[in-house]
Amino acid sequence: MLSPRWRKMLRDASQHKSRTALVVVALVVGLIGAGALLASWALVRQVTAQTFIASRPVSATLRVERVDDALLASLRQMPQVAAVRARRVVYAGLDANGRRTRVQLFALSDWQARDIGQLRPERGSWPPQDGEIVLEPSSLEFAGAQFGQSVQVTIDQGASVTLPVSGITRDVSLAPGWMDHIATAFVTPATLARLGAPADFNEIQFVVRDTTLDRDAVRRIADEVRARIEQEGGRVTNIVVPVPGEHVHAAQMDSLSLTQGAFALMTLAVCALLVVNLVAGMLASQTREIGVMKALGASARQIGTLYAGFALALGLASSLVALPLAIAIARPYAAMKLEMLNFPIGGAAVPWWVLLLLLAAGCVLPVAAAAIPVVRACRLRAADALRDSGIVADGGHLRRRFVLPGISRPLQLSIGNAFRKPQRMLLTVLALAAGGAVYLGADSLRSGVRASVTQLFAGSRYDVSLHLSDGAEAARAERAALTVPGVIAAQALVSATGTVLHKDGLDGERFALVGLPPSSPLLAPLIQQGRGVAAGDGQVLVVSRSLLKDEPALVLGADVELRVSDRLSRWRVIGVVDVGPQPLAYVPAAALNAARGSELASILLLTLGTGDVAVQRETILRTRAVLATAGIAVGRSELVSEARRVFEDHLLMVVQFLGVMGWAMIAIGAIGLASTMSLGVLERTREIGVMRALGATDRAIASLVQFEGLVVAGLAWMVSLLLSLPIGQLLADAFGRVMFTVPMQPLPPARAALSWGLLLVLVSAIACSWPARRAVRLPAARVLAYE
Amino acid sequence: MNAISVSAPLIALDKVAKTYPGPAADFHALADIDLDIQRGDFVAVVGASGSGKSTLLNLLGGIDRASSGRIVINGRDLGSASERELTAWRGRNVGIVFQFFQLLPTLTALENVMLPMDFARLGSSRERKQRAQLLLERLQIADQADKLPSSLSGGQQQRVAVARALANDPPILLADEPTGNLDSRTADSLLDGLTELVRDGLTLVMVTHEPRAMARASRAVSLADGRIVQPERNHA
Ligand SMILES: Nc1ncnc2c1ncn2[C@@H]1O[C@H](COP(=O)(O)OP(=O)(O)OP(=O)(O)O)[C@@H](O)[C@H]1O
Ligand SMILES: [Mg+2]
Repeated sequence: MLSPRWRKMLRDASQHKSRTALVVVALVVGLIGAGALLASWALVRQVTAQTFIASRPVSATLRVERVDDALLASLRQMPQVAAVRARRVVYAGLDANGRRTRVQLFALSDWQARDIGQLRPERGSWPPQDGEIVLEPSSLEFAGAQFGQSVQVTIDQGASVTLPVSGITRDVSLAPGWMDHIATAFVTPATLARLGAPADFNEIQFVVRDTTLDRDAVRRIADEVRARIEQEGGRVTNIVVPVPGEHVHAAQMDSLSLTQGAFALMTLAVCALLVVNLVAGMLASQTREIGVMKALGASARQIGTLYAGFALALGLASSLVALPLAIAIARPYAAMKLEMLNFPIGGAAVPWWVLLLLLAAGCVLPVAAAAIPVVRACRLRAADALRDSGIVADGGHLRRRFVLPGISRPLQLSIGNAFRKPQRMLLTVLALAAGGAVYLGADSLRSGVRASVTQLFAGSRYDVSLHLSDGAEAARAERAALTVPGVIAAQALVSATGTVLHKDGLDGERFALVGLPPSSPLLAPLIQQGRGVAAGDGQVLVVSRSLLKDEPALVLGADVELRVSDRLSRWRVIGVVDVGPQPLAYVPAAALNAARGSELASILLLTLGTGDVAVQRETILRTRAVLATAGIAVGRSELVSEARRVFEDHLLMVVQFLGVMGWAMIAIGAIGLASTMSLGVLERTREIGVMRALGATDRAIASLVQFEGLVVAGLAWMVSLLLSLPIGQLLADAFGRVMFTVPMQPLPPARAALSWGLLLVLVSAIACSWPARRAVRLPAARVLAYE
Repeated sequence: MNAISVSAPLIALDKVAKTYPGPAADFHALADIDLDIQRGDFVAVVGASGSGKSTLLNLLGGIDRASSGRIVINGRDLGSASERELTAWRGRNVGIVFQFFQLLPTLTALENVMLPMDFARLGSSRERKQRAQLLLERLQIADQADKLPSSLSGGQQQRVAVARALANDPPILLADEPTGNLDSRTADSLLDGLTELVRDGLTLVMVTHEPRAMARASRAVSLADGRIVQPERNHA
């Protein structure tokens, strides 16, 4: 049989059903939000370890002129090297179901290797046989291809070859095809030969034995490998060393996880505020009863156990409801994030420590929230506690005496009521304001991102870029293109790849050097620091922000040595631009030509007379044909509008997520407002009864409650405007660290502030409708009998 | 009852005062109280409204502390005891009937009576229930055992409060106008019951206005403006 004190707890809870339910709802919402984020984060981490790290990602890739088995065997002898393979990458066009995509074809020396870049066959046969093609799953939808069907593969001007898609195999080290806009496929060297491409391997990839090494240490090993290859008579033309143990999209994922982690904490904190508020309100009326129990000989421990047990039961119940839901949300959410990393979620389960942590959070939170008012009540002397009726307004009486001119009596009463429990009101305002601040922060980040994407593309006054595969004389290419109807302007650019020569004599990662002529009407990069390339400049560099991130030595004013087309030259950094995530540098075209010893242009920019994408595509086809007859080979072509859309989509995905978080927090804030208002109504039951007795109408009483809600909402609006500034800045900083700098407005846009204000009015009206109805419906007899 | 006892008094108050801090000046609810109460005494505390009767009872029950002076009960100095010690001591040694009953609203009459036993961990839960029922029977409200306080009349609530105060069979009972809401017959039977307990060794301090109750007391203490005004008067 349950002892009387526990029965009391149960009955108290059932008497305050709605408030108890609100505590549970607040906890459930907070736990679902925080739990889903935490669980998906843990899933991503776990799958990353299980797939990416377990696949033994390649430590370095060296471009060589010739690879043979003897060379591979010789490299395998090296103690620092754990595994070696050779490959060739060929770029081609892939046609499937009427869509044309660029594809990178991989031919590998060892398809089944488990110790280097392990591939995961998912469907069909593996490895690819001659005359077949195996596609990477993240490329399927993007390329419009399907397993079992055939696709056409074409290399440059060569003949199309039809290849059946015989299998689907995942390469977890790649960025997903749909994100990088290039499909990936695997074919045998013999198939490459059929396509007219060289069939021998030209790259060597290896995995270092010590996986704890940093990038520079791996670079040094790569240099030793280079030395060994050259000893054997080979020649290395390029070395790529990715950040060890990090997926290509790890940085994006980190920024996403970081902001999400911050928001998970914030959601939980807002819920904690709400739970504290609700539990405190629930216990406010308990002070006197705690006094009675103390007078009857209940020890502080007994009372503490009682209320802690009650709070624990609420937490436990909430956790039991929230955890399955959180996990149900976490899995697809993690799958979405993993898709961005090209990792399959497979059968990964949410680790048990996440469940334990959430359970602990769910249980500790209400207990901690209850501890404050209970300890306070226990500390009170029994005599004082007995005098507490729990419904007498404490504090704030005097504030009501302020007479605000021009404001009606009921409104003044509402304002006074709002301030009766300043602490509770503060928590309510904070909870609402936090949601609003995230909402506003996400909004200004969204417009900031849009603005900076616009800025990124502001210097691009062309509609399409064509890559001239074999290079062409600039003037000739421009002239030829201008003969095509629909082409309004053309500008050919020279470009090359370069590397920074580090102090230790090793090369950094490759980046693009784009040569700008003294007058460049179609491409005028917006300079962020320093100045742009001008007529008469010598060997000067304007570096992109992402190049600066890769090569911190390239600060404004620095003198650096570059390797451009295998020749060394000295350059001075004169400016910094933001062009998104590409590492590149703009240089004077003449200086670039001098450095690389060639004048041939490799990029052709075109301005078209129409914004219609279909017409633009037709014009591109016509231009290709015209250039082909002029003997100029065109590789890939890119529409600026499309590049921009893809770019924006990726960025806005993160922003969208923040928006959703903002909404969730606003919902929690609304629950907080509703609970605060209903507590207020409950505490003022007698007062309402008296007003009733004095002739107040239903409408007067309901609007008293609604007005009070509006007062709180108004305060929350102001606080959220203030809060949105640091939050927006924080978001922009986090974003800028990974993606690119986002200019933030000093104030949230008026439109956003206004729409948030209107939303708040609506939220307040909805949140107050229930307490207002309760106030109206209180039966008069009970109202006056209420102790 | 023997008024002049050789043994030390069960309850001894020495220059006890209680002051409430006020906005303008402090308010002296009790001042200069010297009072000895022997084991088995039935003391009636009388006085006008606001004279400090409830305050005195609160001090005796240890639910409030004196501002100055010493209260020693059964050798224990209440002033130096910690809140925890006081609570544990009170649970076993003092039964309190509050002026406003103070029944817990969500517990039935029976459960209210069981509560102190529950806190003091006296007996098994079945024994507690039996004892609670017995007490309610003695107070002639056994038929109301399963009702919530809100559906009891004032007098019924008062008797439940008395039953609850007696639950742990305390040696000291402090009762604040326990007969205030009762008709004369019910009041008489309650007083009969209490007198019987006093005969069995209970020490009873009762605030009352009623001559009927005062008549049964072994002595009366009269308060006016927080001071004992009349020479203590032996009754029996
Ligand atoms: N917490 C308090 N703060 C200030 N003054 C108090 C407090 N409690 C009681 N008093 C004052 O102390 C005095 C004595 O109060 P007490 O409750 O002991 O009176 P009483 O004799 O029991 O009166 P009644 O017969 O009306 O119950 C009263 O004047 C009262 O106003
Ligand atoms: Mg009194």
